[in-house]
Amino acid sequence: MAPILSIVLATLLVSTLATFFAGKRARYVALAGSLVFLVEVLGLIAGFSQWAGFASGHLPLYNDYESYSWISIAWLHVNYTIGIDGISLIFILLTAILQVATVVYSWEESKRPAEWFGLVLLTCLGCFGVFVALDILLFFLFWEAVLIPMFFLIGFWGGPNRRYAALKFFVYTHVASIVMLVSLLALAFYSGASSFDFESLYGPARTLMPVTQVVLFFGLFFGFGVKFPIVPFHTWLPDAHVEAPTGGSVLLAGLLLKLGGYGLIRWAVELLPTGASDLAPLLYAVAFASIIWGAVIALAQRDLKRMVAYSSINHMGIVLLAIAVGSSLGITAAVLLMFAHGIVSALLFMVSGSVHHTFGTRDVSGIGGITPRTPALSTMVMVGSLASLGLPALISFPAEFAAFLAAWDRIGYWVVVPLVVLVVTAAFYLWMMQRVLFGPEKGVPPTVHDLPRFELLGMAMLAGATILFGILPELLVHVIVASPIAGWP
Amino acid sequence: MSAFSPAGLLALSGGLLAIGLFGILTRRNFILLLISVEIAINAAVLNFVYFAAFSGSASALSGQAIAVVLIGLAATEVAVGLAIVLALNRLRGSINVAEANALKS
Amino acid sequence: MTGLSFALDYAWLVPLSTLVAFVIVGLAGNRLKRLEWGGWVAVAGAFVAMVVGLLVAAAEMMGPGTYTDQSFTWLSVPGSPGTFPNGVNLVMGVLVDPLSALMLIVVTVVGFLVMLYSIGYMHHDRGLPRYYAELSLFLTAMNGLVLSDNLLEFFLFWELVGVCSYFLIGFYYEKPSAASAAKEAFLVTRVGDVLFLLGIFLYFATFATSGPGAGWAASGFKFANGTQPFLAGISGGNSTTLTIAGLLMLAGAAGKSAQFPLHVWLPDAMEGPTTVSALIHAATMVAAGVYLLAVTSIFLGFTATDQLAIVAIGGFTCFFAATMAVVNTDIKRVIAYSTISQLGYMVLAVGAGVTMVGMYHLFTHAFFKALLFLAAGSVIHAVGTQDLRKMGGLWKKLPITGLAFLFGALSLSGFPFTSGFLSKDDILGSVLAATSAHPLYWPFFLLALLTVFLTAYYIFRAFFLAFGGPAPRDPALPEAHEGPWVMRLPLIVLSALALGAGWLAFYPPFASLLAGGGVPPSFSATDLALSAVSFGLVLGGIGLAYALFGNGRMVEVPAGSAADRVRSVLLNRYYFKAGYDWIGLRAVYGFSRAADFVERYVIDGTIRGIERAFARGSDQLRKVQTGIVSDYAAYVIGGLVGFLLLLLVVAPWIVAHLGGS
Repeated sequence: MAPILSIVLATLLVSTLATFFAGKRARYVALAGSLVFLVEVLGLIAGFSQWAGFASGHLPLYNDYESYSWISIAWLHVNYTIGIDGISLIFILLTAILQVATVVYSWEESKRPAEWFGLVLLTCLGCFGVFVALDILLFFLFWEAVLIPMFFLIGFWGGPNRRYAALKFFVYTHVASIVMLVSLLALAFYSGASSFDFESLYGPARTLMPVTQVVLFFGLFFGFGVKFPIVPFHTWLPDAHVEAPTGGSVLLAGLLLKLGGYGLIRWAVELLPTGASDLAPLLYAVAFASIIWGAVIALAQRDLKRMVAYSSINHMGIVLLAIAVGSSLGITAAVLLMFAHGIVSALLFMVSGSVHHTFGTRDVSGIGGITPRTPALSTMVMVGSLASLGLPALISFPAEFAAFLAAWDRIGYWVVVPLVVLVVTAAFYLWMMQRVLFGPEKGVPPTVHDLPRFELLGMAMLAGATILFGILPELLVHVIVASPIAGWP
Repeated sequence: MSAFSPAGLLALSGGLLAIGLFGILTRRNFILLLISVEIAINAAVLNFVYFAAFSGSASALSGQAIAVVLIGLAATEVAVGLAIVLALNRLRGSINVAEANALKS
Repeated sequence: MTGLSFALDYAWLVPLSTLVAFVIVGLAGNRLKRLEWGGWVAVAGAFVAMVVGLLVAAAEMMGPGTYTDQSFTWLSVPGSPGTFPNGVNLVMGVLVDPLSALMLIVVTVVGFLVMLYSIGYMHHDRGLPRYYAELSLFLTAMNGLVLSDNLLEFFLFWELVGVCSYFLIGFYYEKPSAASAAKEAFLVTRVGDVLFLLGIFLYFATFATSGPGAGWAASGFKFANGTQPFLAGISGGNSTTLTIAGLLMLAGAAGKSAQFPLHVWLPDAMEGPTTVSALIHAATMVAAGVYLLAVTSIFLGFTATDQLAIVAIGGFTCFFAATMAVVNTDIKRVIAYSTISQLGYMVLAVGAGVTMVGMYHLFTHAFFKALLFLAAGSVIHAVGTQDLRKMGGLWKKLPITGLAFLFGALSLSGFPFTSGFLSKDDILGSVLAATSAHPLYWPFFLLALLTVFLTAYYIFRAFFLAFGGPAPRDPALPEAHEGPWVMRLPLIVLSALALGAGWLAFYPPFASLLAGGGVPPSFSATDLALSAVSFGLVLGGIGLAYALFGNGRMVEVPAGSAADRVRSVLLNRYYFKAGYDWIGLRAVYGFSRAADFVERYVIDGTIRGIERAFARGSDQLRKVQTGIVSDYAAYVIGGLVGFLLLLLVVAPWIVAHLGGS
């Protein structure tokens, strides 16, 4: 069987390198590379007829599995092991969609375009690696590889306070990475696995003593949680978003936050089921805190980007809630919601970026009544806001519905808390729309232009995905359930 | 062979090293600094040669080989060092290392 | 007649035709602006929907009690032990049953007529493509809601009609009051929606695992599956959960149907175009709450506690809203309050266990209320104001409109032999009959009866103020004249329906749609006596209105009197809106600002503090970096010496003194 995933990885690598050296033609190279990637991923999904299932002893198998010895010294066995299941595939699809959308959106980037597009592709390359890696060290390698291009994207193309934000982002996520790495290594050593491979860890890790599982899970939860981000380790996110360039924000909210959720499912919940269920109360508490805090703070924000950033914290809190539930419905909902949030927050950050360079400000009270002058931009504001507040027929709704249904089954009437917060979520989006889109015209320059063509195209792609998957979520769900969650003992 | 006393020889190379280190720490002239580094390296080379001679086994050859490599290394280092001296002189008009503190910030 | 039954398989065409109109107008509307195509495309979509909808309803009448169901998997997840062991299977589909056929008639007919009327009414407005696109989308969502085959799909379209309502209320978005009203409507109904959602979870989770509903869960929680109502088969152990679920359904319905205490948004929703008020905020969307309660009571069932709560909410709301209509001077708001009040009647009926009587009133109400709104729209179109105090003497200038308004008012107040009379007295009679078994219903029955008087009074007050008298009280009003035929035709059709639609209940095939107790109305001795009483109240109301306003002048209440204070309370809507504004702006937003302060200065402040400590420490540390090579060499040598000391002196000392023992 052809090493499909390695081929995809190789094409990504080639297109990334080619973009860096393509000079003025970088955007064409980047777009071509992104489209090739998207086609490859769609091919993967089309060919993903059935999940590989379980081997004997409930060991989950992975599709397109490849494993080569990479480092082998004495007892240390590190392998280049990659493979996918339905969950990884959904995140890979998200990566491909956002990569194309970001490249299209930032088509007119004039500040060192070769480096810009190269770093965008490099970020996506790293994310792809994280989603396919099935070996601890390979996983960590890709995990860290994502941070570096993002650091430069924020630090070089960002806003006035970009250095501070870039450093804050880097330090936060790096500290979390170290905790995560230590926990993963401890997991490997305590379980006495023969290598760092997911497969060889799976059996031994799941049979670890409950106490060990709880401690390891806690470490992993912290490590992945900062990426989520969970309250109270979330303050890097608004700063990073406010200073990041639009494309950086898109990747940051759309992909980087998802790494935390994916890692938590793949490396913590799957490997340490007892730890996950024993620590569920903590997860619920943190999830509730994130949900409430994110929404409440978002209501007080006047900067569009900060508002969207806090709403991200709120949504990722719901993801954490669904992961904490841990049933097949819960995990499915979590993955679906992360996909949904990836698309919707990307759209909203594009909207914020376009608002900023159309009107010169993102201050919600600084502009008003923009609809007649910029109808396309206003439409995108509406689609993004409505999707984010969970309007049915847009993508967040099926995910949130499934998440709350799963949560109801485990925590009963406690689910009222996040449900009530939905009203607050609706409130801050509606209030924002009332102030920015409606009412008398305010703060609109006389020579204002509606969206440039490429920005509109990038947003329209995401809006289209929002509507398509909102009406037919089964398109995604039938892939998601083709994974070990479908048959967890 | 036994005419050489190991203690005396080690004292010699130790003395050379001490002279070299003293020079490195006190000289401000770049060329003198380089000469001091050479002296310290030569102390190490001497040690390699002594111990190669004393051990008398198959590893003797490797000790001598390293000595030769070190001599080559010292030569290249001087070449690079002198190039830096020339560059520094052209840039600053002086080869006083105390003035070459651009690394500070 | 089986010849029509094929239509049942094409019910999906009803939402689809308006969806196509939405897409065409939405995407290409601006290019078709000059030709005014957009409007006609939307009218055509609504027309196709009406034709198909009526065919479907006719087919359903011919084969009473049939369920036609087509669905596809929307979201399906396998089960895991301990939670949903059978998995979760959520579907979307089209279900045609008698209830949805009835609603289909209402929605498609009123939808088409309002769309047609819009061509004339909205002629002078900007942003028409947007208007027609949104209205088409609304019809799509509303028909989708009517044809939903399970609660989840119901909720999905429920939210979609809500968002269409949001956009249409805010159609004149340049007006801050319109933008604010739109937001208010969305948020207040959202409160109900969230509770409704919780109710869905309760039903799904309770039925998913075992018991009589296990098959229901596997089929995707469809309405048409299994025995109805489910509640009959549920053991007493679950009844608390089900009572709560029923109350949550009531909360959802209260949000959408503007029942107390979530009624505040509907009067403000009158900021939208009058056509929107007629279609969405009178005939269809606001009735969806009642429809929800009807569906729930038929398919799931309510417990006795739920029923009492529903009766209480419905009975109280119908009186409560009517009192506020009595003093209002905005013609649209008067009708809006009357809508809340009439919805209260329907809720009351559903709660009292005569669901189909409630649906019957929903059916008749849709026509006469749409008529009242369109007639009011015609008045507004003619004189350019909504203020009753400025109008007057329009009877001669707007004869068709005046007559239409009169017919609507007669039907609304329940004048004998109008549609409204049939359905409203049917409700009163049925509730009176229910009081024998449930004495707690008595106060709410009496409130409902009293409301008959108020209804007749306030609507005829509006009628006399607008049409009575010799001339407008405000001489600045423009010369009034009737609108074009597209406006007059719907008025005429709806006039006929407002007077006659109720009589359809005596036509057996149609009555089969309303299969259930109480429809068509019976005329027993008690019923006739009750009708006599209510007719007396109607006459009293009309008489009082005529006495006060019949000559076409405003009655001024002396300032500072007791009556004036009452009037002020009523005009301020019992201060509910002020209270909700306080909760929203002061309590929630204030809390949010405080939390933001904590976020900035406590949480992030701590982080920045740690960061500053590090920065200061490293500032001290960097002084070591002199940049002089010799210094660095000294550090290297110093480090080496220190390390050797550690290795050769300190370590052996430690081993010698401590390690040996």
